[in-house]
Amino acid sequence: MTAQIPQVLVCAGGGGVGKTTTAAALAVALARTGKRVLIVTVDPARRLADAMGIEIDADVHSVHLDDAAAGKLFALMPEPKQSMRTFAEILFGERPDDLKRMLDNRIYTTLGDGLSGIHDLVSLMLVARAVEDTEYDYLVIDTAPSRYALDFVAYPGRLASLFEGRAVTFFANLAKKAADDGGGPPKDEKGLLAWGKKRAGAAIGRVLDPRFLTDLAALFGLLALVRERFVQLARNSEELLLGNDTRYLLVTAPTGSATADVDYIIKKLERLGQRPHAVLLNRSDAEPPSWLRQLSTATTGVTLPIQEAVAVLAGEAEARSVAGNEMERGIAKRNPGLWMLRLPNIEARDPSQVVRALADHLSTDLTRLA
Amino acid sequence: MGGAAQHAPSREGEGEAGEPARRPLAPVVLVTGKGGVGKTTVAAGLAHAATAAGRKAVFVEFVDGESGKRVLGRKSPVEHIVVKPAKAVEDMAAKVFGSALLSKVVIGNFAMKRMLQAAPALRELGQLEAVRRITEARPGARVVVDMPATGHGVAWLKAPKQMRDLLHGGPLHELAARLATDLVAPGRSSIVIVSLPERLVLEETLELAETMRHQLGLPADRLIINRVPSAIPHHALGEARRLAAGNGALKGPAAALVEVLAARDQARSEAVGALTAATTDAAVHPISLPLAPVDPRADEVAAWLIAAGAA
Repeated sequence: MTAQIPQVLVCAGGGGVGKTTTAAALAVALARTGKRVLIVTVDPARRLADAMGIEIDADVHSVHLDDAAAGKLFALMPEPKQSMRTFAEILFGERPDDLKRMLDNRIYTTLGDGLSGIHDLVSLMLVARAVEDTEYDYLVIDTAPSRYALDFVAYPGRLASLFEGRAVTFFANLAKKAADDGGGPPKDEKGLLAWGKKRAGAAIGRVLDPRFLTDLAALFGLLALVRERFVQLARNSEELLLGNDTRYLLVTAPTGSATADVDYIIKKLERLGQRPHAVLLNRSDAEPPSWLRQLSTATTGVTLPIQEAVAVLAGEAEARSVAGNEMERGIAKRNPGLWMLRLPNIEARDPSQVVRALADHLSTDLTRLA
Repeated sequence: MGGAAQHAPSREGEGEAGEPARRPLAPVVLVTGKGGVGKTTVAAGLAHAATAAGRKAVFVEFVDGESGKRVLGRKSPVEHIVVKPAKAVEDMAAKVFGSALLSKVVIGNFAMKRMLQAAPALRELGQLEAVRRITEARPGARVVVDMPATGHGVAWLKAPKQMRDLLHGGPLHELAARLATDLVAPGRSSIVIVSLPERLVLEETLELAETMRHQLGLPADRLIINRVPSAIPHHALGEARRLAAGNGALKGPAAALVEVLAARDQARSEAVGALTAATTDAAVHPISLPLAPVDPRADEVAAWLIAAGAA
């Protein structure tokens, strides 16, 4: 990497907790302080993309969402449907013939979109490339809305080992044998290992037909060509996710599933040698907003329909507060010392207004957060 | 707000009375949708509804079992099965290779090991095969599958046909072919898609339903729109606007109220608009479930679904 490595903030959390909005708010709050910030959203949110005035594609765009952050905030929202193509392009960029072969490979085209984690990986590769080209102070990674989002941290390594020479040779040989209709391993191998290899080879050859094996071998052959490049990219991505200065922020909201997701992700992070830097408890304001209190206590000027609406909102705020308290206690009990930050429930017609309002709330704790 | 129970489930664009009977669900119910839409809750509700009608019901998940425990509660009449992906692949391999020992040799093979860890479709096939076996062993039961949220489930359901067509023969081809005809097929499985009442999310959902119909030949049996906000009395918004336009002390607070009410009104009309569009377009009539301030229990969701004729 040529450019200075940015401070990485990874936002993780289950679905439906407002993670993408919170991550965007954090990025806005940081950019307002004059820092250069790049935010990458792994699961593209069209609504937010529209609000940010950016495209969903493989490029970094300047974000127009907040005047105070103008010129400092950049976003990358890769399109999942393009990931297979982008993946091949990243790997075979300088080998047009091989790129074509890869994109024509029957197995790659048929099964590729089912390759779990590929989009996350491609997103990371694009980020790694972006921070190599341009200098940023902060990189905010908004992971996919799933408790399994962090699985992809280990994915580059798994794929890299699949590309490893021995496995590739094994499948290539198998394909050749199948094509020759010979079967069995090379005759000069001895011992238990060779026996196992022979058995496995014979069994796989019986289960998979020759044409499939030929395609498979071709795919492995292509991947072997770019193995080093892949490993390098995977290592760069891994560095962003697991680097010493990387901070994990868990975003959650007071619902049953979100609590379980938080526990799961904390455990997962532990296994990766990480500890969450903070838990952001969304939609959990301890107190109802002041305007709501003013309206509930007003003696004149508030008509019955307004009173009714205010009562409903106050009831909801109370329920959120109670649920928030309960969740905060629960998390604190299981994770002593973990810093939790409660954020208010914000509703507005324009999603960018929600982002800006949340950014206001985050600004007071920004130095500690980032 | 007194809780979820006060909300009545409703279907947009239609009266509450005289709900037409919907096409009954197939023995296997595959519940899909993107993360965070309440897929698990709806799946549990559908399973619970079957037990309410005196049938046996199974809730199948591919995770650690925690989410199932949470939504079903402790004394659920629903049988809860957790299918571990690795185990499912092992079982499938034993079947494909005709011997557990041989499959161990193959799975233990260094190349295969790596292949299985990263290869798509094999895990999906293993999981679907497990569902098929669970169903086979429980005639008459409803088997509800809480599908993984990744990739919206299409890639998942495509796996049998893909493997059947990629391979031209052999036991794996046969296994895939059987799954394509006996499990992921109309009459065998019903597809339930869970979505949220936001225009863009709904558009994505309809796109997903189209893809499933075209690429899999599986039309969605139920389109469930979760967390539809309740209507805000329109005059409350009007009066709040009037108050905000005045010069009184409550001008500021009223403006804040206007924003919240208008946002909900917008969300509501967006939801209704999108639902209406979906209704005229799609073969499935969407079912709305209310927005509850706290997570609803499986029996509550079951009651909503039964009332909507969707269970």
